[in-house]
Amino acid sequence: MKSRAGQILWYIMLVIIVVLALAPIAWMVSTALKPESEIATIEIHWIPRTITLENFQAVFEKFPILRWMLNSVVVAVLATLLTVFLDSLAGYALARMEFWGRNLIFAVILSMLFIPLQITVVPLFLAFSKLGLTDNYLALILPIGANVTGVFLMRQFFLGIPYELEDAARVDGASAVRIWWAIILPLARPALSAVAIITFLSAWNSFFWPLIVTQSDAARTLPVGIAQFMTLRPGLSMSVQLYGQSMAGAVIAALPPIIVFLLLQRQFIQGISLTGIKGA
Amino acid sequence: MLRILPRPRTVAQTAAAERHFRWTPYLFLLPYLLFFVTFRLGPAVAGLGVSFTNWAVVGQPQWVGLANYEAMFRDPRLLTALRNTLFFTALTVPLLVVLGLALAIFLNQPRRGRTLGRVAVFTPYVMMSTAVGVVWTWLLEKDYGLINVYLGKLGIPNVPWLTDERAAMYAIVLATVWWTVGYGMVLFLAGLQDIPEELYEAARIDGASSWGLFRYITLPLLAPTTFLVILLAIINSFQVFDQVYVMTSGGPGSATLTLVQYIYVTAFQFFKMGYGAAIAGLLFALLIIFALVQTRAYRRGLKGASA
Repeated sequence: MKSRAGQILWYIMLVIIVVLALAPIAWMVSTALKPESEIATIEIHWIPRTITLENFQAVFEKFPILRWMLNSVVVAVLATLLTVFLDSLAGYALARMEFWGRNLIFAVILSMLFIPLQITVVPLFLAFSKLGLTDNYLALILPIGANVTGVFLMRQFFLGIPYELEDAARVDGASAVRIWWAIILPLARPALSAVAIITFLSAWNSFFWPLIVTQSDAARTLPVGIAQFMTLRPGLSMSVQLYGQSMAGAVIAALPPIIVFLLLQRQFIQGISLTGIKGA
Repeated sequence: MLRILPRPRTVAQTAAAERHFRWTPYLFLLPYLLFFVTFRLGPAVAGLGVSFTNWAVVGQPQWVGLANYEAMFRDPRLLTALRNTLFFTALTVPLLVVLGLALAIFLNQPRRGRTLGRVAVFTPYVMMSTAVGVVWTWLLEKDYGLINVYLGKLGIPNVPWLTDERAAMYAIVLATVWWTVGYGMVLFLAGLQDIPEELYEAARIDGASSWGLFRYITLPLLAPTTFLVILLAIINSFQVFDQVYVMTSGGPGSATLTLVQYIYVTAFQFFKMGYGAAIAGLLFALLIIFALVQTRAYRRGLKGASA
């Protein structure tokens, strides 16, 4: 397989894969930088003849995109902190403490993996509207604290930490909270960052619940705002000029996670593959 | 397959565990459980409850028993949504599994540039769904969209991807596969790392072909990962919504109306909370049935392999 022909075939296939995967993203960026005249054409210019920022300008003028972004950042950051805190506490108890009802509690938590979010959405919406808390950060952040994957990941990781350190600390009289904070958490850094990355990504990209529970730009997040680029259109035929603007919006929404991913590739992929419940 | 039970502890460890106060574990669990019960378990149970009522947000709920579930059988739009969702799932899941596995095996070879390949394939997955929808709406645009322009160069007439009833669902499938195939690939790559290299070496010495290695080593040892990828793909496909909402809003006509899209319209545009919750109940039942069927098939497969 290491033959010359094999090597050439490898590179051809690799180029095809990379091009197919990245072409839509490149086209998004390219369109966003084009003037109207270059968008409505069947000539393909991957690199714009004239590069302009007018689409970005128009997007910032017409839509409160900075506000959406601020909302997204606040929600995703707070939801991530909340989740890491809750899940590392609960995961620790479930993995390393013995108490009555532990297996039952864990089974009930896990069973929620199979329950579609949509079944919880109707009562949640009714409850939040009764409390007058729709269109509010709390409605966006709090439900994320109930996620199941994070608890599962933390527990699985804690199971693998040797008991010697913990037992030594206990002999020295350290409290459970202290052991959790000073011994277990520092050892669990890979799991903590995995949970943080997964939670942040899913909070940042979350759409269905924010779409339902936000009504104004005060709380609307970026994914919900971006969806408006398309749903504001009259019918299905959209003027081509708007495509330049919606690509600019898509670039603003999509590039931050892509950049973070490219910088933190290894942690990202590790975190994501951990969600794949590794066999043992 | 899964390490569900904690590893056994020594006598000394158990004794140490029993020394600290009994209520400590519950205090550690309490914060999470409060959130879990309030925002997950409680609403799930309440959701089933709401599905037995008529409730229009304002006003009091009215108990109607199974009427919402009976109404489904007479609701042609529900049947369309169900059919569309099954069709979408039947197309998307095999594509995601086969392509994900093929990409993982290809990019697992120890050759130059494989990291670039992996990163490129995974990159779309970190994009938000609505941005993906916006980008693909433009790529699939009828007159100036990139895909039709390239097809035109090959002499193929323009396809109105998003406005033709026959084409629209394929357009959604295409966008979805591009967006999420990297996730399956990453899971398969993780699974491949767990297969000991010695197995391949031994088989090669015995004169096994590449296909033989794949068929009798890779595929069986990857079975737990494959099971998981299929399960996750089914769960996600059944709940497809975001791309549809952005790209077609369920149209043209009801060609891409899916179950979750229909829940959204019923509960949050027409404010028929009870009926919306009942459709969510149907979705839940479908997911459970598919998960059980798949688990059973998997177990049978394991038995067959060891016999």
